[in-house]
Amino acid sequence: MSDQNANSGCEPLTLESELSEIARIPPWIERLAALNAVPERTRFAMDLCLEEAVSNVIRHGYAGEPNHALTVRCEMHRDGFITLVVEDDALPFNPLLVREPPVPASLSDVSVGGQGIHLMKQFADAVEYERKPAGNRLILRFFYPGTSPGLPTVPPS
Amino acid sequence: MQLSMEELDGGITKVILDGRLDIAGAQEIDLKLNVIAGTKKAVLVDMQKVTFLGSMGLRTLVAPAQAIKGRGGKVVLFGPNEMVENVLRSSKMHTLIPIHHELQSALAALR
Repeated sequence: MSDQNANSGCEPLTLESELSEIARIPPWIERLAALNAVPERTRFAMDLCLEEAVSNVIRHGYAGEPNHALTVRCEMHRDGFITLVVEDDALPFNPLLVREPPVPASLSDVSVGGQGIHLMKQFADAVEYERKPAGNRLILRFFYPGTSPGLPTVPPS
Repeated sequence: MQLSMEELDGGITKVILDGRLDIAGAQEIDLKLNVIAGTKKAVLVDMQKVTFLGSMGLRTLVAPAQAIKGRGGKVVLFGPNEMVENVLRSSKMHTLIPIHHELQSALAALR
């Protein structure tokens, strides 16, 4: 990565492939947000997208099997955006290829499946997918105004 | 996620949710909401203290609403914060379960 990037102050989060592990995401995001003065709306969006991305990997990528791992890491960028990277060792799965759920005409038409990916695309400013040699990498980008005061500044010339 | 109930005039049941409606929160209230859905006909879901809503939380709200509407009843959502409302609107749920920010209009919609 370029020198535009800086450490978020948060260690990468390694999760087991169990849904109960998702409870570890909100405190990690809270800490990340507090350390880097992330606005509330962006914090909410990161929280939402990570819950959806991670539950997707656990339920679909690993098909609910325990004893697999996935990691989440964060990069702060000096030009005011945050990147969350979710990596797993699961079978290839590109969530960006999942069809959008149809707009429901009535409650009985509501398909809740697919909403997670839809919400992720709506709440992240950009979502990218990369196939790893063995596994998947999902990159979620969030833009917010201003540069975090927690980031290093360019020394005066 | 905490769930409490209050019976209001006119046969309206107020269901107060408090906390995160994430995967864990959804599991905590699923059964209680299904019981409510099987017995009540006019339900106001007070969302003022809901701090998070994800896709599993949406599922938890939609299934009971389907059951209540299927029995000829009504459900409204009251007072979600801006971000929770964004989730409801992004998923188009607001077109099916009305959102109100004034208590009087929420109650009127159930009568």
